[in-house]
Amino acid sequence: MNFEEFQNRSRLYVIGALESDELEEFEEARKKLGQKAEDYIGECYALHEAFALSLQPAKSSSAIKDRLMSMVREKQKR
Amino acid sequence: MVKAYRRRESVGRNCPRRLKLPNAFNSPACARSGGFSRCADVDPARLCMNLDSEADGEAKPRLPVTALELEPGAPSDLDLMHAIQAENPDALSQLYDRYNGILKALILRVIHNEAEADDLLQEIFMEIWNQAKNFSAQKGKPLGWMVTLARRRAIDGLRKKQAYTRAEERLQAETEQQPEAWVHNATEREIDFGDTRVLVREVISSLPPAQKQAIELAFFRGMSQREIAANTNTPLGTVKTRLELGLKKIYDGLKELRHEL
Repeated sequence: MNFEEFQNRSRLYVIGALESDELEEFEEARKKLGQKAEDYIGECYALHEAFALSLQPAKSSSAIKDRLMSMVREKQKR
Repeated sequence: MVKAYRRRESVGRNCPRRLKLPNAFNSPACARSGGFSRCADVDPARLCMNLDSEADGEAKPRLPVTALELEPGAPSDLDLMHAIQAENPDALSQLYDRYNGILKALILRVIHNEAEADDLLQEIFMEIWNQAKNFSAQKGKPLGWMVTLARRRAIDGLRKKQAYTRAEERLQAETEQQPEAWVHNATEREIDFGDTRVLVREVISSLPPAQKQAIELAFFRGMSQREIAANTNTPLGTVKTRLELGLKKIYDGLKELRHEL
């Protein structure tokens, strides 16, 4: 697999869209390419942020945060 | 608590220091807004999801994706993550204030149920608290880590629910009735008061509907290529091509945006 193909697969990989046979080839290429591959995969994760930011933020009730913080503080006491 | 951030509203088409944006932004909505140019008098580092780059010399350059500009002196996302790792609940509270809207929107997009989305949002922030020690700035930004975690939890939740089939039916109805449901077109007002979020939407909305749909099914539904093929009655090879082309366009559009900004 050349690096261009690896780049294509990396973008599919980060969104979990590689099929199992593709995943095996991808992991092999990832090992061969080493740090260069890891850096590129890391960059591709920015797609996740982009997809989330493409949505209109939704409101949530303040009770959610109150419950969350109370659970956190409760856990800290233990 | 005083919110330590504000929406950026400094994009003005009359600003003398405008930057030309990539071709991906040449949508009809952009044309209506007079060319969709962007003011450059904001610190580019803040526009480019580098909130924590100063504190983390080893962090890799990332594509631009933050919609929030921090107030001077406000802790960066990475500062907050480090504080959470040190078990400071106030840091979690601030991170929640910054990103609960984005994460809830993501969860809702996956599971389509307000009450369940609220429950899941709470669980996800609890997981952020519990798993913070596993976060590494070398591997990515805090928002990316949170989105990845939230997406996985939401998709798991969707799969566990017996209502999965119902959600698929709703999706079917949505895609038939509103092929552009994922990303609405940016209005002129949004462009005037635009921020990175609007630009990201524009990159995505520039995709052909079939590519957008394939990416939506993969990202927001966690479907494999085969599942997408079956769901849309499309040959597997076509699905693969749509995903590859669509993701490449988004990736390149965001990269270009980073360079322009």
